[in-house]
Amino acid sequence: MSSTDFGEVSRPAGENYANPKTCFFHVLFKAAALAFYILSALFVDSFVIIFVVTVLLAALDFWVVKNVSGRILVGLRWWNEINDLGESVWRFECLDQELLARMNKKDTWLFWWTLYLTAVAWIVLGIFSLIRFQADYLLVIAVCLTLSIANIVGFTKCRKDAKKQIQAFASQTIASRFTSTIQSAFSVV
Amino acid sequence: MSNSHSDTVPLHASSQSDIDEIENLINVSVQSGPATVLPARPPSPPRASIPVSSTPFIQSNIPPPTSASSNQKVPPVSAAPPPPINNSTRPNIGVSGFGPSPNTLTEPVWDTVKRDLSRIVNNLKLVVFPNPYREDPGKALRDWDLWGPFFFIVFLGLTLSWSASVKKSEVFAVAFALLAAGAVILTLNVLLLGGHIIFFQSLSLLGYCLFPLDIGALICMLKDNWVIKLVVVCVTLAWSSWAAYPFMSSAVNPRRKALALYPVFLMYVSVGFLIVAID
Repeated sequence: MSSTDFGEVSRPAGENYANPKTCFFHVLFKAAALAFYILSALFVDSFVIIFVVTVLLAALDFWVVKNVSGRILVGLRWWNEINDLGESVWRFECLDQELLARMNKKDTWLFWWTLYLTAVAWIVLGIFSLIRFQADYLLVIAVCLTLSIANIVGFTKCRKDAKKQIQAFASQTIASRFTSTIQSAFSVV
Repeated sequence: MSNSHSDTVPLHASSQSDIDEIENLINVSVQSGPATVLPARPPSPPRASIPVSSTPFIQSNIPPPTSASSNQKVPPVSAAPPPPINNSTRPNIGVSGFGPSPNTLTEPVWDTVKRDLSRIVNNLKLVVFPNPYREDPGKALRDWDLWGPFFFIVFLGLTLSWSASVKKSEVFAVAFALLAAGAVILTLNVLLLGGHIIFFQSLSLLGYCLFPLDIGALICMLKDNWVIKLVVVCVTLAWSSWAAYPFMSSAVNPRRKALALYPVFLMYVSVGFLIVAID
């Protein structure tokens, strides 16, 4: 249906990606890091270059997901602050319910699936280097995996928080509407 | 529910009615104060990688900052009226659906990068360079970030690897692993000694304190004379330790200062040794 599907099976929903460029960048750095890591053994001799390029791409991906695609594709944001008392505080924020509901389904689907799939891919590659006793490459994978997992944990916590907020908001709205209905009923009478 | 009014901004500018837009403008200017997430202390730049929010966001676990802290530098976001579009190099969308704070959200990517870079530079200046007006060191690295340490560690590894004539990969891997694991272990050391330090803040600090050693390694790579190398490494080593001292010592009980500082010094000495001995 959608021509911007990057070869994936299109969902029957009938809507296109709302933010194709963001989706593209979201996937680009992940895919580049994985591809470079896998293919580099064929044509790059030096481990240092493999390490630096892969880790750099993974770090770029982390930054893009956290700062760009998280906000645009799923409307979530997370960060850490140190308050005046010197305590570390994790902040999670999300869009209001209306806007969240209006987020393009394809975008969110792509966001979450690629997030989880990359982590799984890194774990699989890690198992391979474990089997081959390559401690060097295990280091690369450890770094990339840490970055992926950080994003996954951050956004998942953010989403859970968002759901709680929505429930609280919804029950609050229902309660207030109920009371105002009753009040108007009584005032009419 | 004044929040909900300001959140009727749709994803695309074309479907926004004029009245709603005017309402948003009013709500932005009214609500920009306490609802805005503010950086923790005045001199720090606005949080770079995280655009400061305003109204559409539901604050999750913290009550809004008090008015005392809202006197701090309010980022330009909430003050400016929301332009529908601000897209030069930015990938897509007009009104991004994030309501009245599109400035940082639809800003060109280059702007975000610049802010992140300036944050790194500020942290560096705070940690490494002599500053008589520095406030309480325990609170100084509030705006911690791990990008600076990341770049410094990679740079140090690269420099060491470049200077090595054999076993370049091993040198790089060892340097990186040593520094990363070392930072984690040193932080755990402080925490286990009953110190009050935040994990990421400490990692960030130890990473920034590597900067003098980076310079030392660069100079040693360029000059081959072992006397010069020794002198340079000693100077930069002293500089690194001096930079780390106030943060570490203020974090622990005074009787345990030496226990916290000695491992830090040891780690920097071993890095210094790596730099001198590399051939």
